[in-house]
Amino acid sequence: MAATFLAFGATVREAGLPVGWALAATWGVYGMPGQLVLVQHAAASGAAGGVLPAVLGAVAVNARFLPMAVALAPMLAAPHRPRRWSLCGAPFVAITPWAAAMRALPGLAPPGRLPWFLGFGLASWLIAGAAAVAGHAVAGLLDPATRAVLVFANPLYFALLLAADLGRPGVRGAVLAGAAAAPLALLLPAAWGLLAAGIVGGTAAFLLGRKHGQRAQQHG
Amino acid sequence: MAEADLALLLAALCCLALRVAGLAVAGALRPDHPFVAWAAAVAQATLAAFVVLAVVAPTGALATLPLLARVAALAAGLIGYVAFGRRLLPALLAGLAVLALLRGVAL
Repeated sequence: MAATFLAFGATVREAGLPVGWALAATWGVYGMPGQLVLVQHAAASGAAGGVLPAVLGAVAVNARFLPMAVALAPMLAAPHRPRRWSLCGAPFVAITPWAAAMRALPGLAPPGRLPWFLGFGLASWLIAGAAAVAGHAVAGLLDPATRAVLVFANPLYFALLLAADLGRPGVRGAVLAGAAAAPLALLLPAAWGLLAAGIVGGTAAFLLGRKHGQRAQQHG
Repeated sequence: MAEADLALLLAALCCLALRVAGLAVAGALRPDHPFVAWAAAVAQATLAAFVVLAVVAPTGALATLPLLARVAALAAGLIGYVAFGRRLLPALLAGLAVLALLRGVAL
């Protein structure tokens, strides 16, 4: 995780934005895909700027926070504690703390689960911020070509994660549909292209998946 | 306020809203609810499109790297991922090493 935030810091510097922006994006958004969409829009502003497509693109690519939070919520609840306390964990619903929590929390007693998640989430969040600041600083010492290599670390990292997901039948369709819809982004205005490709590809995969599921149920 | 700052502020608020909504509606909305499944599919597809575009048709700093170097780095990363027992960090470093080696090759 720290490596991706290090590369993010370098990407922010490459886009000509200050270190404070890198830290604010890391702590405020705390979801790398959305951070990358934001910084890409910021770098292209002027040519393909506009606040709305940047925000919508970042939210679409981080939309998994919703299903992740839905899956996590029952684990954070405890008897005799109002459910609203669980909302304290909201800023840390992100892939690293979430994946760790889904593994570790079932083994803990319910009253200790929310404190565990808050502690783990806060530690991850602080490390991510420190890595982004370090990446921004390091990028200043590198020549442009080496910096470009560092910037490539994030797309490559997510390509590897997606390749791993191709083995999971429920997720495979969305990955393939999104990749297939990517050329849409080249045809549409640059600012809106990614969002359109994601919505078209994701919706197509969702509809095909439902159809397939219904057929499987009929035959099953 | 600069556009980049405003976009960041709004995106951060929207992402927080998604997280709070997910925690708050759990119980009313099951993890396999169609809306939840649709949101997950859109996120996954957007990320896939982002990766494809970053490799094939990037803007900014990545565009200064040759196409062949970007594709070779992706291939090296994927091969590394399989070769290193599905571990991400060594695979990532393998891909970046290939990119660093090939970046000077003008194609």
